[in-house]
Amino acid sequence: MRADADTVPQILRSLEAEGMDASHLGPIGVRPRMTRYLSELWERRHFVWMDSRHRVATQNSSNLLGNLWLVLRPLLDAAMYFLIFGVILDAHRGIDNFAAYIIIGVMMFRSTSRSISQGPGILRSNKAMIRAFSFPRAALPISAEIRDAMQMVITVAVMLAMIIVLPKHELPQVTWLLIVPIFALQSLLNLGISFLFARIGYVLPDVSQAMTVISRFLMYGSGVIFPIERFFDHPVFAAIIHANPIYQLVHMYRVALMDGAVPELRSWVVLGAWAVGLLIVGFLFFWRGEATYGDEKR
Amino acid sequence: MATRSAEATAAAESTSPDEQGERWVAPEHSPLTVVARDLKVRYTVKRTNRTRGSGALSRLRRTQKISVGAVRGVSFTARSGEFIGIIGRNGSGKSTLLRTLAGLEAPSSGTVLTSANPSLLGVNAALLPELTGAQNVKLGALAIGLTPEQADAAFDGVVELSALGDAIDLPMRTYSSGMAARLKFAISLAASPEILMIDEALSTGDAAFMERSKRAMDELLERAGTVFLVSHAAQTIENMCSRAIWMERGQVILDGDAVEVARKYRWFAHNLAQGDTSKANGLLLDARREGWEQTEDRRQFERGSNELHWTPRHARKPPRGHRGGRRSDTTAP
Repeated sequence: MRADADTVPQILRSLEAEGMDASHLGPIGVRPRMTRYLSELWERRHFVWMDSRHRVATQNSSNLLGNLWLVLRPLLDAAMYFLIFGVILDAHRGIDNFAAYIIIGVMMFRSTSRSISQGPGILRSNKAMIRAFSFPRAALPISAEIRDAMQMVITVAVMLAMIIVLPKHELPQVTWLLIVPIFALQSLLNLGISFLFARIGYVLPDVSQAMTVISRFLMYGSGVIFPIERFFDHPVFAAIIHANPIYQLVHMYRVALMDGAVPELRSWVVLGAWAVGLLIVGFLFFWRGEATYGDEKR
Repeated sequence: MATRSAEATAAAESTSPDEQGERWVAPEHSPLTVVARDLKVRYTVKRTNRTRGSGALSRLRRTQKISVGAVRGVSFTARSGEFIGIIGRNGSGKSTLLRTLAGLEAPSSGTVLTSANPSLLGVNAALLPELTGAQNVKLGALAIGLTPEQADAAFDGVVELSALGDAIDLPMRTYSSGMAARLKFAISLAASPEILMIDEALSTGDAAFMERSKRAMDELLERAGTVFLVSHAAQTIENMCSRAIWMERGQVILDGDAVEVARKYRWFAHNLAQGDTSKANGLLLDARREGWEQTEDRRQFERGSNELHWTPRHARKPPRGHRGGRRSDTTAP
């Protein structure tokens, strides 16, 4: 049972019967209304920003190479997948610049895959913060997403440098600027995923065990490493693949970076609909659980 | 006798004139800040039976889910200017009560009403050990809800209160626990919260810091704030608070003047430490009875005369193990 709202007037009346002024009192620990919630979230922005900045800057300080790992990790990832899928399995199916294809896919997918794998644990890992302050808990997924975006700035720089330097050099074009709006949509998508899984993972901690599998499945099923669409001819499969926002996402990055073209409207619509839809659904779902996140879980 | 002299010391300490003079006294009539009504917090936990039975069935039944009441029906009202100590043994529900009052944990039932958002002294959760003290002051101030401008304005005061000197520019992971405690206390006061809640935070500071923090809190109280302090050290409560709430097994035993309640608690805890369990239980029952009488007086006032014939539970049947004459033990010098 939650703190019941209908007993509040009774308490206020009994206090006033004793001659005490209780008009300025209000219930605590109850989920605020949406407008209030959003404005509290907005007031929290300074903390979220400063906290994210410092955490990104200090997260690798225990490693000898420090923040060089922000560059090295995605590099190693891309090198490994290129070795396996490009050289050993030879899965490129007629993709011209397969190195760039894999680098773009792997590096840009990392951001979404982090949201998927870390989303369910986000409330648990910030337990100390939740138990110490009252603030809109939605600030936690947002903060994680901002940290992720900060790291992605470095990742994107590494990625662009690599596709220019590696053979079959891609050269900078005007369409490269399109990665900014595409990444903005990707961040919204990530945030929606975080909100959704944060509450699911809080209620059902076991979900986080399955998340690495789901993340892997999405990676292979979304054309991150090899052109999945060229393995299926069936129209139903094609429709499923094309409705997948992650497939559209990596596809759009590749069109903008490798083909020097503007991604087709259908891609924008699919990605945009998923991003905005998931964000709204995820945020509402998360907000409804707001008052429960401080409870002791055993 | 050892017990007698300990009691005498306790009484002498609490009545010494300089301490009495310094202790904060709450104003008689001031606005309400926190109202708690019948708060209950229950946890469901897995219990494992240690005694091993034979057979597969009893082995299967070894773990069972049981419900544990951490807070079991707590009601009180707090006014601005009050410095309330919550005292009790480990596991008596003090910290859970505080978290519930702060709105960080939802009660299983019951309601908390407050005049402002309480600030629980837990700013360390937001601080990053890799950053310097000074950077953490900024970060912590933002975490407790100050704007960047307010955080800048409060900076010098926080550094001064923390008395860290040059150490303020060192990474926080190099701090001793006392230094870290001082810093987080100083940051928490920077927001000048209307309702401040402190959980055992002051025990790590040294004597000089205790004095300074007491002054800072007195200022807060003069600005019509309310401070809650959770501690199992009766001395701290006696020295600093105006009112004390004694908790035992999730219930309020006694709620009243800090010196009186703390002294009774101390005498109880002392007997318990000496192994005199039956005497300690007697003292506990006396205190509980006194607490009951207070509550019943208030309830009858609230309900009016139609329920005056109602007999308090403790008056119907004397509690087991209770004998007359215990009462004098608690007050005799």
